[in-house]
Amino acid sequence: MDVTESLAHHILDHNWGLSWGGIPLPITTHTVTLLAVSVVLILGLSWAVRPHTSRAGQLLTTLLEEYVTFIRDGLVLPNMGQEGHGFIPYFCTLFLFILSVNLAGMIPGMKSANANISITAALAICSGGLIVYSGLKYHGIAGFIRSFIPSGTPWWLIPLIFPLEVVSTIIKVCVLAIRLFANMFSGHVALLCLLFMIFMLGQTHWAAGVGSALPIMGLELFMTCLELLVAFLQAYVFTLLTAIFAGAVIHTH
Amino acid sequence: MSLGPFSRQEHLVITTLGLEFAVAELLGGALGIWLDKKWETSPWMLVLGVLGGFALGMYRIIRFAQEMDRQGKTAEKENGRY
Repeated sequence: MDVTESLAHHILDHNWGLSWGGIPLPITTHTVTLLAVSVVLILGLSWAVRPHTSRAGQLLTTLLEEYVTFIRDGLVLPNMGQEGHGFIPYFCTLFLFILSVNLAGMIPGMKSANANISITAALAICSGGLIVYSGLKYHGIAGFIRSFIPSGTPWWLIPLIFPLEVVSTIIKVCVLAIRLFANMFSGHVALLCLLFMIFMLGQTHWAAGVGSALPIMGLELFMTCLELLVAFLQAYVFTLLTAIFAGAVIHTH
Repeated sequence: MSLGPFSRQEHLVITTLGLEFAVAELLGGALGIWLDKKWETSPWMLVLGVLGGFALGMYRIIRFAQEMDRQGKTAEKENGRY
Protein backbone atom coordinates (compact mmCIF):
# COMPACT_ATOMS: atom_id res chain seq x y z
CA MET A 1 0.00 0.00 0.00
CA ASP A 2 1.48 3.35 -1.06
CA VAL A 3 0.84 5.66 1.88
CA THR A 4 2.20 8.76 0.16
CA GLU A 5 -0.06 8.28 -2.85
CA SER A 6 -3.13 7.66 -0.69
CA LEU A 7 -2.37 10.72 1.45
CA ALA A 8 -1.94 12.85 -1.68
CA HIS A 9 -5.17 11.48 -3.14
CA HIS A 10 -7.24 12.26 -0.04
CA ILE A 11 -5.65 15.53 1.10
CA LEU A 12 -4.22 17.41 -1.87
CA ASP A 13 -6.14 19.38 -4.48
CA HIS A 14 -6.78 17.80 -7.90
CA ASN A 15 -7.19 19.63 -11.17
CA TRP A 16 -10.09 18.20 -13.17
CA GLY A 17 -8.26 18.98 -16.41
CA LEU A 18 -11.18 20.86 -17.99
CA SER A 19 -10.57 23.43 -20.67
CA TRP A 20 -12.70 25.85 -22.66
CA GLY A 21 -11.60 26.80 -26.17
CA GLY A 22 -8.09 25.57 -25.48
CA ILE A 23 -7.79 27.62 -22.27
CA PRO A 24 -7.29 25.41 -19.20
CA LEU A 25 -9.94 26.14 -16.56
CA PRO A 26 -8.94 26.28 -12.88
CA ILE A 27 -11.58 23.74 -11.91
CA THR A 28 -10.19 21.72 -9.02
CA THR A 29 -11.77 19.76 -6.18
CA HIS A 30 -11.22 22.62 -3.76
CA THR A 31 -12.63 25.32 -6.06
CA VAL A 32 -15.71 23.16 -6.67
CA THR A 33 -16.12 22.72 -2.90
CA LEU A 34 -15.80 26.48 -2.40
CA LEU A 35 -18.34 27.20 -5.14
CA ALA A 36 -20.76 24.57 -3.78
CA VAL A 37 -20.52 26.02 -0.25
CA SER A 38 -20.98 29.57 -1.60
CA VAL A 39 -24.05 28.60 -3.64
CA VAL A 40 -25.61 26.69 -0.73
CA LEU A 41 -24.97 29.62 1.64
CA ILE A 42 -26.28 32.28 -0.75
CA LEU A 43 -29.43 30.34 -1.68
CA GLY A 44 -30.01 28.94 1.81
CA LEU A 45 -29.58 32.26 3.61
CA SER A 46 -31.63 34.16 1.00
CA TRP A 47 -34.44 31.69 1.63
CA ALA A 48 -33.96 31.72 5.41
CA VAL A 49 -34.27 35.51 5.80
CA ARG A 50 -37.60 35.70 3.96
CA PRO A 51 -40.68 36.19 6.16
CA HIS A 52 -41.91 32.79 7.31
CA THR A 53 -45.33 31.78 8.62
CA SER A 54 -44.43 28.27 9.77
CA ARG A 55 -42.94 27.72 13.24
CA ALA A 56 -39.85 26.03 11.79
CA GLY A 57 -39.24 29.01 9.52
CA GLN A 58 -39.64 31.46 12.39
CA LEU A 59 -37.22 29.38 14.47
CA LEU A 60 -34.69 29.57 11.62
CA THR A 61 -35.06 33.36 11.46
CA THR A 62 -34.57 33.58 15.24
CA LEU A 63 -31.46 31.40 14.97
CA LEU A 64 -30.01 33.69 12.32
CA GLU A 65 -30.76 36.75 14.45
CA GLU A 66 -29.02 35.07 17.39
CA TYR A 67 -26.03 34.34 15.17
CA VAL A 68 -25.73 37.97 14.03
CA THR A 69 -26.12 39.15 17.66
CA PHE A 70 -23.35 36.74 18.73
CA ILE A 71 -20.98 38.09 16.05
CA ARG A 72 -21.89 41.72 16.89
CA ASP A 73 -21.85 41.56 20.69
CA GLY A 74 -19.37 38.75 21.18
CA LEU A 75 -16.72 39.42 18.57
CA VAL A 76 -16.92 42.77 16.78
CA LEU A 77 -18.06 45.45 19.24
CA PRO A 78 -15.89 44.36 22.24
CA ASN A 79 -12.78 44.49 20.05
CA MET A 80 -13.50 47.26 17.55
CA GLY A 81 -15.83 49.48 19.57
CA GLN A 82 -18.66 51.42 17.96
CA GLU A 83 -16.52 51.82 14.81
CA GLY A 84 -17.04 48.12 14.19
CA HIS A 85 -20.73 48.50 13.30
CA GLY A 86 -19.97 48.99 9.60
CA PHE A 87 -17.87 45.81 9.47
CA ILE A 88 -20.42 43.41 11.01
CA PRO A 89 -21.57 42.02 7.59
CA TYR A 90 -17.98 41.07 6.74
CA PHE A 91 -17.48 39.24 10.04
CA CYS A 92 -20.84 37.43 9.75
CA THR A 93 -19.88 36.26 6.25
CA LEU A 94 -16.34 35.32 7.28
CA PHE A 95 -17.37 33.16 10.25
CA LEU A 96 -20.14 31.33 8.41
CA PHE A 97 -18.04 30.79 5.30
CA ILE A 98 -15.01 29.37 7.15
CA LEU A 99 -17.26 27.20 9.32
CA SER A 100 -19.18 25.87 6.30
CA VAL A 101 -15.98 25.09 4.37
CA ASN A 102 -14.51 23.35 7.44
CA LEU A 103 -17.69 21.33 7.97
CA ALA A 104 -17.93 20.48 4.26
CA GLY A 105 -14.64 18.62 4.71
CA MET A 106 -16.32 16.35 7.26
CA ILE A 107 -18.89 15.13 4.71
CA PRO A 108 -17.75 11.83 3.14
CA GLY A 109 -16.61 12.36 -0.44
CA MET A 110 -15.95 16.08 0.01
CA LYS A 111 -12.69 17.76 0.88
CA SER A 112 -11.93 20.55 3.31
CA ALA A 113 -10.85 23.42 1.09
CA ASN A 114 -9.30 25.14 4.10
CA ALA A 115 -6.62 22.41 4.09
CA ASN A 116 -5.22 24.34 1.10
CA ILE A 117 -2.87 27.22 1.94
CA SER A 118 -3.93 29.19 -1.17
CA ILE A 119 -7.53 29.42 0.06
CA THR A 120 -6.65 30.38 3.64
CA ALA A 121 -4.15 32.90 2.20
CA ALA A 122 -6.95 34.45 0.11
CA LEU A 123 -9.13 34.69 3.23
CA ALA A 124 -6.24 36.21 5.20
CA ILE A 125 -5.60 38.76 2.41
CA CYS A 126 -9.28 39.81 2.64
CA SER A 127 -8.87 40.22 6.41
CA GLY A 128 -5.58 42.09 5.89
CA GLY A 129 -7.38 44.39 3.44
CA LEU A 130 -10.06 45.05 6.07
CA ILE A 131 -7.40 45.84 8.69
CA VAL A 132 -5.65 48.32 6.37
CA TYR A 133 -8.99 49.82 5.24
CA SER A 134 -10.19 50.36 8.82
CA GLY A 135 -6.87 52.07 9.65
CA LEU A 136 -7.10 54.33 6.60
CA LYS A 137 -10.80 55.08 7.23
CA TYR A 138 -10.38 56.25 10.83
CA HIS A 139 -6.90 57.79 10.74
CA GLY A 140 -6.28 58.87 7.12
CA ILE A 141 -3.11 57.99 5.22
CA ALA A 142 -0.73 60.05 7.39
CA GLY A 143 -2.33 58.89 10.64
CA PHE A 144 -2.26 55.26 9.51
CA ILE A 145 1.46 55.50 8.68
CA ARG A 146 2.11 57.23 12.03
CA SER A 147 0.31 54.37 13.83
CA PHE A 148 3.21 52.09 12.88
CA ILE A 149 5.50 54.11 15.16
CA PRO A 150 4.84 53.30 18.85
CA SER A 151 4.43 56.33 21.11
CA GLY A 152 7.62 57.32 22.93
CA THR A 153 9.97 55.99 20.21
CA PRO A 154 13.13 58.17 19.96
CA TRP A 155 13.44 59.78 16.49
CA TRP A 156 16.70 58.02 15.71
CA LEU A 157 15.05 54.62 16.22
CA ILE A 158 12.19 55.35 13.80
CA PRO A 159 14.03 54.06 10.65
CA LEU A 160 14.49 50.73 12.45
CA ILE A 161 11.13 50.46 14.22
CA PHE A 162 8.94 51.48 11.25
CA PRO A 163 9.96 48.57 8.93
CA LEU A 164 9.75 46.17 11.90
CA GLU A 165 6.17 47.26 12.61
CA VAL A 166 5.18 47.03 8.92
CA VAL A 167 6.65 43.50 8.64
CA SER A 168 4.95 42.59 11.96
CA THR A 169 1.58 43.49 10.47
CA ILE A 170 2.29 41.40 7.35
CA ILE A 171 3.35 38.47 9.57
CA LYS A 172 0.12 38.79 11.60
CA VAL A 173 -1.86 38.30 8.39
CA CYS A 174 0.39 35.38 7.33
CA VAL A 175 -0.18 33.76 10.72
CA LEU A 176 -3.96 33.99 10.23
CA ALA A 177 -3.62 31.95 7.03
CA ILE A 178 -1.10 29.46 8.40
CA ARG A 179 -3.06 28.80 11.61
CA LEU A 180 -6.28 27.90 9.80
CA PHE A 181 -4.49 25.87 7.11
CA ALA A 182 -2.29 23.96 9.60
CA ASN A 183 -5.19 23.06 11.88
CA MET A 184 -7.43 21.78 9.11
CA PHE A 185 -4.61 20.01 7.25
CA SER A 186 -3.15 18.31 10.33
CA GLY A 187 -6.57 17.09 11.45
CA HIS A 188 -7.18 15.36 8.14
CA VAL A 189 -3.67 13.89 8.06
CA ALA A 190 -4.14 12.55 11.62
CA LEU A 191 -7.46 10.93 10.65
CA LEU A 192 -5.90 9.28 7.58
CA CYS A 193 -2.78 8.14 9.44
CA LEU A 194 -4.96 6.40 12.03
CA LEU A 195 -6.84 4.61 9.24
CA PHE A 196 -3.57 3.59 7.56
CA MET A 197 -2.42 1.98 10.80
CA ILE A 198 -5.07 -0.73 10.36
CA PHE A 199 -3.77 -1.62 6.89
CA MET A 200 -0.11 -1.43 7.93
CA LEU A 201 -0.69 -3.73 10.87
CA GLY A 202 -2.74 -5.99 8.56
CA GLN A 203 0.25 -6.29 6.25
CA THR A 204 2.37 -7.77 9.05
CA HIS A 205 -0.33 -10.32 9.96
CA TRP A 206 -4.02 -10.40 9.12
CA ALA A 207 -4.95 -11.01 12.79
CA ALA A 208 -3.11 -7.83 13.82
CA GLY A 209 -5.13 -5.84 11.27
CA VAL A 210 -8.44 -7.32 12.41
CA GLY A 211 -7.58 -6.92 16.09
CA SER A 212 -6.49 -3.31 15.73
CA ALA A 213 -9.51 -2.27 13.64
CA LEU A 214 -11.92 -1.76 16.55
CA PRO A 215 -9.65 0.30 18.87
CA ILE A 216 -8.40 2.37 15.94
CA MET A 217 -11.96 3.05 14.75
CA GLY A 218 -12.71 4.23 18.32
CA LEU A 219 -9.76 6.60 18.09
CA GLU A 220 -10.98 7.66 14.66
CA LEU A 221 -14.39 8.50 16.08
CA PHE A 222 -12.74 10.52 18.85
CA MET A 223 -10.57 12.39 16.33
CA THR A 224 -13.62 13.09 14.14
CA CYS A 225 -15.38 14.69 17.13
CA LEU A 226 -12.20 16.68 17.77
CA GLU A 227 -12.21 17.76 14.11
CA LEU A 228 -15.77 19.00 14.52
CA LEU A 229 -14.68 21.05 17.52
CA VAL A 230 -11.66 22.37 15.60
CA ALA A 231 -13.92 23.36 12.67
CA PHE A 232 -15.95 25.62 14.97
CA LEU A 233 -12.95 26.79 16.99
CA GLN A 234 -10.85 27.82 14.00
CA ALA A 235 -13.71 29.74 12.40
CA TYR A 236 -14.14 31.56 15.73
CA VAL A 237 -10.40 32.18 16.16
CA PHE A 238 -9.95 33.52 12.61
CA THR A 239 -12.89 35.91 12.99
CA LEU A 240 -11.90 37.00 16.50
CA LEU A 241 -8.25 37.61 15.56
CA THR A 242 -9.32 39.69 12.55
CA ALA A 243 -11.52 41.77 14.85
CA ILE A 244 -8.69 42.15 17.42
CA PHE A 245 -6.15 43.25 14.79
CA ALA A 246 -8.61 45.67 13.15
CA GLY A 247 -9.51 47.03 16.61
CA ALA A 248 -5.81 47.52 17.40
CA VAL A 249 -5.40 49.53 14.18
CA ILE A 250 -8.47 51.68 14.93
CA HIS A 251 -7.67 52.29 18.61
CA THR A 252 -3.95 53.04 18.49
CA HIS A 253 -2.30 54.14 21.74
CA MET B 1 -13.04 28.61 33.66
CA SER B 2 -10.53 31.00 35.19
CA LEU B 3 -8.34 32.81 32.68
CA GLY B 4 -5.98 34.33 35.26
CA PRO B 5 -5.06 37.99 34.84
CA PHE B 6 -5.65 37.84 31.07
CA SER B 7 -8.80 38.26 29.04
CA ARG B 8 -9.89 35.77 26.35
CA GLN B 9 -8.62 38.12 23.64
CA GLU B 10 -5.23 38.46 25.32
CA HIS B 11 -4.95 34.66 25.61
CA LEU B 12 -5.60 34.37 21.89
CA VAL B 13 -2.98 36.99 21.02
CA ILE B 14 -0.46 35.30 23.36
CA THR B 15 -0.96 31.94 21.60
CA THR B 16 -0.42 33.71 18.28
CA LEU B 17 2.96 35.08 19.41
CA GLY B 18 4.64 31.65 19.18
CA LEU B 19 3.41 31.14 15.63
CA GLU B 20 4.45 34.69 14.72
CA PHE B 21 7.93 33.95 16.05
CA ALA B 22 8.20 30.84 13.87
CA VAL B 23 6.78 32.54 10.76
CA ALA B 24 9.17 35.51 11.14
CA GLU B 25 12.16 33.16 11.14
CA LEU B 26 10.83 31.09 8.24
CA LEU B 27 10.16 34.19 6.15
CA GLY B 28 13.60 35.58 7.03
CA GLY B 29 15.18 32.24 6.07
CA ALA B 30 13.26 32.07 2.78
CA LEU B 31 14.30 35.62 1.92
CA GLY B 32 17.91 34.75 2.81
CA ILE B 33 17.90 31.65 0.55
CA TRP B 34 16.47 33.71 -2.32
CA LEU B 35 19.12 36.43 -1.89
CA ASP B 36 21.87 33.78 -1.58
CA LYS B 37 20.83 32.30 -4.93
CA LYS B 38 20.64 35.72 -6.53
CA TRP B 39 23.95 37.09 -5.26
CA GLU B 40 25.75 33.73 -4.81
CA THR B 41 26.66 34.56 -1.21
CA SER B 42 25.60 31.24 0.35
CA PRO B 43 25.12 30.87 3.29
CA TRP B 44 25.52 34.42 4.63
CA MET B 45 22.16 35.88 3.55
CA LEU B 46 20.38 32.83 5.01
CA VAL B 47 22.14 33.36 8.34
CA LEU B 48 21.31 37.08 8.24
CA GLY B 49 17.68 36.36 7.29
CA VAL B 50 17.17 33.88 10.13
CA LEU B 51 18.82 36.25 12.62
CA GLY B 52 16.63 39.10 11.34
CA GLY B 53 13.53 36.90 11.74
CA PHE B 54 14.63 36.00 15.26
CA ALA B 55 15.13 39.68 16.11
CA LEU B 56 11.68 40.51 14.73
CA GLY B 57 10.08 37.70 16.75
CA MET B 58 11.79 38.89 19.93
CA TYR B 59 10.73 42.48 19.16
CA ARG B 60 7.09 41.36 18.85
CA ILE B 61 7.22 39.52 22.19
CA ILE B 62 8.89 42.44 24.02
CA ARG B 63 6.42 44.94 22.52
CA PHE B 64 3.47 42.79 23.54
CA ALA B 65 4.85 42.41 27.08
CA GLN B 66 5.31 46.21 27.32
CA GLU B 67 1.74 46.77 26.13
CA MET B 68 0.35 44.26 28.64
CA ASP B 69 2.37 45.92 31.39
CA ARG B 70 1.02 49.36 30.44
CA GLN B 71 -2.57 48.08 30.28
CA GLY B 72 -2.13 46.37 33.67
CA LYS B 73 -0.83 49.58 35.23
CA THR B 74 -3.69 51.61 33.72
CA ALA B 75 -6.21 49.11 35.12
CA GLU B 76 -4.55 49.24 38.57
CA LYS B 77 -4.63 53.06 38.50
CA GLU B 78 -8.33 52.96 37.63
CA ASN B 79 -8.94 50.53 40.51
CA GLY B 80 -7.17 52.93 42.90
CA ARG B 81 -4.21 50.69 43.66
CA TYR B 82 -1.64 53.29 42.53
